[in-house]
Amino acid sequence: MSTQTNAEVQHYLDRMREALSDLPAAEVGEIMDDAGAHVVEVAEEMGEEFSLAALTDRLGTPHAYARELRAAAGYPSPAAVDVPTGSRPVVLARFALWSLVACTAIGFGFGLSGGDGEELLLLIGLCAAAATVLVFRQSALPPEIARLPETVALKDGLKRLEQGDTQRVLASLRTFQPVWWVGRALLIGSVAMMSYRGGGLTALLALALGALSLVAGPKARTDRRWLWISLPATGFALGVLLLILGSLASRFDGPSPVQASYNPQPPTPGNIYVFDKDGKPLTDVHLYDENGRPLDTPWYGCDGRSHGDDNRYPRPRVVHDENGCREVPGVPPFAIVLPSAAPSTTTAPQTTTAPQTPPATSPATSTPLTTPPATTQAPQPTTVTPTS
Amino acid sequence: MDTSQLLKGVLDLAVLAVLRKEDGYGYDVLRRLRQGGLDGVGDASVYGTLRRLYNAGLLTSYVVPSEEGPHRKYYSLNEPGRTRLLESGKTWKSFAQALDDLLGEGA
Repeated sequence: MSTQTNAEVQHYLDRMREALSDLPAAEVGEIMDDAGAHVVEVAEEMGEEFSLAALTDRLGTPHAYARELRAAAGYPSPAAVDVPTGSRPVVLARFALWSLVACTAIGFGFGLSGGDGEELLLLIGLCAAAATVLVFRQSALPPEIARLPETVALKDGLKRLEQGDTQRVLASLRTFQPVWWVGRALLIGSVAMMSYRGGGLTALLALALGALSLVAGPKARTDRRWLWISLPATGFALGVLLLILGSLASRFDGPSPVQASYNPQPPTPGNIYVFDKDGKPLTDVHLYDENGRPLDTPWYGCDGRSHGDDNRYPRPRVVHDENGCREVPGVPPFAIVLPSAAPSTTTAPQTTTAPQTPPATSPATSTPLTTPPATTQAPQPTTVTPTS
Repeated sequence: MDTSQLLKGVLDLAVLAVLRKEDGYGYDVLRRLRQGGLDGVGDASVYGTLRRLYNAGLLTSYVVPSEEGPHRKYYSLNEPGRTRLLESGKTWKSFAQALDDLLGEGA
């Protein structure tokens, strides 16, 4: 038997021993004496035609072999074996499984977001790296992970999914798997290129993941441990793919329309002061719009509460000073500038001086009128200082 | 009819029977069963059955070193094994007779 054959037979026997590892060691030894010799003998019979695939074809997978042997020998099935949890790496198995799930999800999100949250990625990446090392180093871990109730449930769900029409779709997709492996590596590699200037860490991680994913794809078909690299890589690549497709789609849609917001209510100021044509402030004025609707605005007093909407202006002013808060009614003492009345006006504002041919020196210095007021009066600003 | 289901119930008896005349190691037992017409018997089932019969105290075993390849563990029938073979054989014969009668000429 060649060394290559030896190695493959040994691999088969190792898997078988793993599947029986919950049985007493002495019993496992006896079984392996019998069945181990059997596997070797079958392999020798095959001679030149030997391959792991041919061996598996003849005897079934190591796990199937172990399962059949267990059933015939009357050993308890592995699930029913009540081994104290402490002696089995259940916690580690669970950690490895959920790290895989989390890492795949985060990889997807990270790809989709275009690389936000580098700190989170680093954290999850460390967890994933630890899980991957564990899975590859601890030979007892993969069967333990397969035995976890959540794994069994997951597998059942997938199996149910694969039945029916989806089965054919999946089968046809499977032929494109090698294409996907290459595409995945390229997608991840493109991230490395894009983020090269941004952050060295992401670029480095992406480059390593891209290269690893190329190896992991075909390996994961026969060795489930490679899923710890393959699945997160798939998640990440899918995220990146969606991101790229999304940005392409928005580019072809043309510029996105400007978001115009139309507010049917005219903006209402906090308060309104009304003056008559003489600049006299008016109080207790009720305002309406062209449809007769009151122009209500809310008003907040010193207590900070709304006093209900109404349309009576001006509202009392809320003044904060050293004495606290006060509500001051009336019009604040400020100066307004009224545009002067239309030319037809015959009565000039009281406080203004009549127009003068020479420029006015000051409104206060009232001199006798040289020309009658009225028709020739040029528009002139009126300064009013309201009282009260 | 699926013979593998039938085999499950009588594999003990079949293994005991092929060891009656001559001791044998696992692969040997498997070959004899197949030569005897039980084609559908699974490799692992035979090894499992051997372990169960051994653990039940119906077989003894001894190891024979081999010139080439791994050593072989031979199984042989002991007294309890012979008694069991006799009893189970009787049960089977009456069972088979009853079923033959039930089927009559129809089969």
